[in-house]
Amino acid sequence: MELKKFVKIREEKFGAVIFDTLREKVFVTNETGKDILNLLKDGKQIEEIIDILKEKYEKNGDEIRIDVNKFISQLKENGIIT
Amino acid sequence: MELLHKIDFKDLKAPLFIAWQINSECNLGCLHCCEEAGHSMPDEMNKEEIFNVLEQIVDLKIPYVALSGGEPLLHPNFFEICEFLKDKTSIKVETNGEFIDERIAKKIANLKFRSVQISLDGATPFTHERLRLGGNWEKAVMACKLLIKEGVNTEIVFVPTKFNIQEIGQLIDMAYSLGVYGVYTGKIMRIGRAAQNWRMLCPSEQEYENFFAILNEKIKQYDGKMKIYYYPYDVIEELKYRLEYPAASLLIIPNGKVKLIGPLPFICGDLKKQKLIDVWENYKIGWQNPKVREFAKKVIEQPKLLAESNKWVEL
Repeated sequence: MELKKFVKIREEKFGAVIFDTLREKVFVTNETGKDILNLLKDGKQIEEIIDILKEKYEKNGDEIRIDVNKFISQLKENGIIT
Repeated sequence: MELLHKIDFKDLKAPLFIAWQINSECNLGCLHCCEEAGHSMPDEMNKEEIFNVLEQIVDLKIPYVALSGGEPLLHPNFFEICEFLKDKTSIKVETNGEFIDERIAKKIANLKFRSVQISLDGATPFTHERLRLGGNWEKAVMACKLLIKEGVNTEIVFVPTKFNIQEIGQLIDMAYSLGVYGVYTGKIMRIGRAAQNWRMLCPSEQEYENFFAILNEKIKQYDGKMKIYYYPYDVIEELKYRLEYPAASLLIIPNGKVKLIGPLPFICGDLKKQKLIDVWENYKIGWQNPKVREFAKKVIEQPKLLAESNKWVEL
C-alpha cells in the first residue's frame, strides 16, 4: 500500500490534512489518522501498524484493528492510497 | 478516527494552495485576461525575493503551487523556480503554450509537474485567435501534443465567451483525441480586461444553458476516459460563497503583494517585506475586516465594481 502520486500530507495541530492535488480534493484526519498515514508512508504493513499503535495508545488490539482497517478502507475508497 | 472533508481554513497552520502570478509579461493581449497582463510591472520581485518565498513555501510544506503570469515561460527564472520546487510540492503551470517546443516539453517532463494547463479558447484557429489577440492556435495545440508525447499530465482550459461558447463540444472531442488528462472550464470571470470588455464577451443565459447541457453530455460520454471539470458559479456567486468559506489559498501577484481573492482589490500582505506565515495570518483576519465585507457586498449588488479588482487597496 502506498500513497497515490500527487497526494500530499501535512501535519497540523488537529492531526493531518491530506491533499490529493491531482483531483484537487482535501481531507482531514485526527492524530491517530496522522500516525497511520505516516506509517503507511514508511512502507509499514497493516499488522505492523496495528502493533505500533497498540503500543503507542495502550489500547485493546481488537479495537485498534477495527479502527485501522476502517481508516485504510476509507483511504482506498477515496483514492488516497493504492 | 475518520477521514473527513470538512475543513476550516482558520485551523490550518499555512495555506494549502498558492496561486502565484510570477510575472506580468505576456506575448498575447487576450480580451478576457483577468490579470490585464502584457508588460512587466516595474516593481516585480527579483530572483532573490522569489527564492526567499520559495524557501518559505517548502518550509511550510505548502502542498500545491500553481505558477501563472502573464506568461510564466517568459520569466527569466521560470525553470530555476520549478527545479527548486520539484519533488517538494505539486506544481501546476498555466501557460498559453506558445513557447513549448520539443526541447522545452522534454525539460518540463523532467520536472514532474502535477500538470501543465494550456489555454485553448476554441476548437478552430479563427475562434481562439479572435479572443487571444496575437495568439497562435496551432502552437497551443502543438504544445499539447508535445507534452502528451513526453508523458506530461496536460490539461486544457477553455473560457466561454460569445465568440467561442458554441465550440465547447468540438473542443472536448478534440481534447480527447489529443489524449489530454482533462478539460477545465466555467463561466467567464468579470475581472480585469474581461470586465472592460464585458458586453462584448459575456454569453447570454441561453448560451450558457446550451453550454452546460453540452458539458453534461460530454461528461457522460467521456466518463472514466477523460476528466471534464466545470465550475458552475460565476464570480459573484463565488464571492458570496467565499465570504462565508474563504479558501485555504493565497494569490501572489508579480510584485510580491498578496491578494485576498481575485475579484476584490484588497491586499493582505507584501512578500517583499513580510514572511509568508505572517501574510497567512493577515489573510485570515482580512476576511473579517468590515472594509472587505462591505465592499464585497457592494460588488455583489453592483458587479460593475469588479472592474476595480486590479486597483489594489492595502488592508
